[in-house]
Amino acid sequence: MRILLAEDDPNISIIAKLSLEKLGGFEVTAVNDGEQALAAALTQLYDLILLDEMMPKMNGLKVCQEYKSRCPAPRPVIFLSAKSQEADLREFTENGVGFISKPFDPTQLATQIEAILASAA
Amino acid sequence: MMSIRLRLFILFTLFAGSTLLLALVSYQNFSLFREQRRQLEMSYIIRDEMIEPGLLKPDSIRHLQSYRARLLPERRAEEFVKVLQAVTGGNQRLLRERHQVFVRNEAEFTRVTREQLDFLEKRLLYYGSVSLVILALGFGLLQFFMHRAVIRPMGELSRKMVDFLHDRYTYQFSVPAADEIGHMQSTFNSLAQRVISNMEQLKTLDQAKSEFLSIASHELRTPLTSIKGSLSLLRSGVVGKMNDMAENLLSIAETETDRLIRLINDILDLAKIEARKLPLHPGWSSWNDLLKTSLDSLEGLARQAQVELITAEMPPLEVYIDRDRMQQVLTNLLSNAIKFSPQNGTVQVHCEINDKQELIIEVRDRGRGIAPEDQEVIFQKFRQASSSRHPLVKGTGLGLAIARALVEQHGGVIGVRSTSGVGSTFYYTIPEWRYGMAPLKQAEAA
Repeated sequence: MRILLAEDDPNISIIAKLSLEKLGGFEVTAVNDGEQALAAALTQLYDLILLDEMMPKMNGLKVCQEYKSRCPAPRPVIFLSAKSQEADLREFTENGVGFISKPFDPTQLATQIEAILASAA
Repeated sequence: MMSIRLRLFILFTLFAGSTLLLALVSYQNFSLFREQRRQLEMSYIIRDEMIEPGLLKPDSIRHLQSYRARLLPERRAEEFVKVLQAVTGGNQRLLRERHQVFVRNEAEFTRVTREQLDFLEKRLLYYGSVSLVILALGFGLLQFFMHRAVIRPMGELSRKMVDFLHDRYTYQFSVPAADEIGHMQSTFNSLAQRVISNMEQLKTLDQAKSEFLSIASHELRTPLTSIKGSLSLLRSGVVGKMNDMAENLLSIAETETDRLIRLINDILDLAKIEARKLPLHPGWSSWNDLLKTSLDSLEGLARQAQVELITAEMPPLEVYIDRDRMQQVLTNLLSNAIKFSPQNGTVQVHCEINDKQELIIEVRDRGRGIAPEDQEVIFQKFRQASSSRHPLVKGTGLGLAIARALVEQHGGVIGVRSTSGVGSTFYYTIPEWRYGMAPLKQAEAA
């Protein structure tokens, strides 16, 4: 499975990439802002897009909306966010297939993603 | 405007002056009145004694002569002397003539004097009434002046002070009067302004402190998340197997990172509570459920410490609370109780409705107890009981401070009863309205 990971914090990005590759066996492409994420998502083919909510240039929700409106066959989107307000969470589930709350446990990240995809399918 | 003291002085001077003047004039008139009346009396006496001047005895003549010095005016005295000379002269004809003239004169004098006396009497009466009027006017004026210059501004000032006491600063008069009360008002004004500016400064400082705390906590959290993530990846073995020494070091790093994260979370919570920015998200939840979840979450810790958790069954109870926050309170008390229990000890949770109809929750342990001087200290920030250096206890010193803030935010109280060597009972209450409405909620649902 190929995953696009958009995360601005380089440390978190490294940890998530390592965790997904080593523990989940996924193939991960990491980008570090919203515009790059959108460009990559529209030009390459991925099985899943992981979007941090707070990113420079374009936030995760905006990237997701743009991507869905411009891509004829959009792939599932999962958000990463530190927000916990119910209204925000509802927005994540409406725009994407689910969300993973930050800070996440890197040993559980792959499992969490699989669970979300399984429940969405 | 002159000072009140000067104005009062002028008022009193005017009042006293006019009263004095009136008294002087009245006294003069009264003296005149008395003198005239004496002359009148003398005139009657003399005439009485001289009805038959021919029969006067030498004693009577001497007595009559004594009046001479006091007779006024001079002409009357002369006439009187002439009559007396005629008496002693023994000339009956002359005596009769003189007597007749004297009697006529005296009659005329009596008539005039009587008129004068009447006039004086009226005048004295008039002065009396004028005095009364002046007195009344004076008192009225004084009253008016006191009301306008003292009582009304004082009342206003005290009203403004009461307003200020109730956090309403209503001082708006442009220029206070330049008298003593005006001075008091402007002093109060400056005082109030200073208090307000001090309070604003305090508020700004307090806000700055809270902002600093939350920003600092946030900035601390980000790197900690990375550290924690890296450590757990290392622990999961993705980068290869580590030897025992490395594993040990790793667990130290992990434990301490967890502690640091807890500390930062607690600081952030407390900063929010103190800045009154921690919103409660209340909702209806089952108290039994909350109790069970809290106990379950501490099962591991209890087993590790070899402590038994005991709770009695209770009838189902619905409460209107912020469930996560209330669970945080209960978990905190329970974990404290477990940490401070001896091996094979018990920790008992007891919930009931007390006399005041509050839901009261008690967490009882059989630990060493808390010295009376520490019983208040432990609820303060970053403070732990002086005797609590326990190997298992790695607290932040914020748990009870947060628990207290959360319980109080729910309208309850928190406290501890403890006997040294016997154990401690921590209790907190939830007010009646938070569970008493449960039937209403059921009706709403139905």
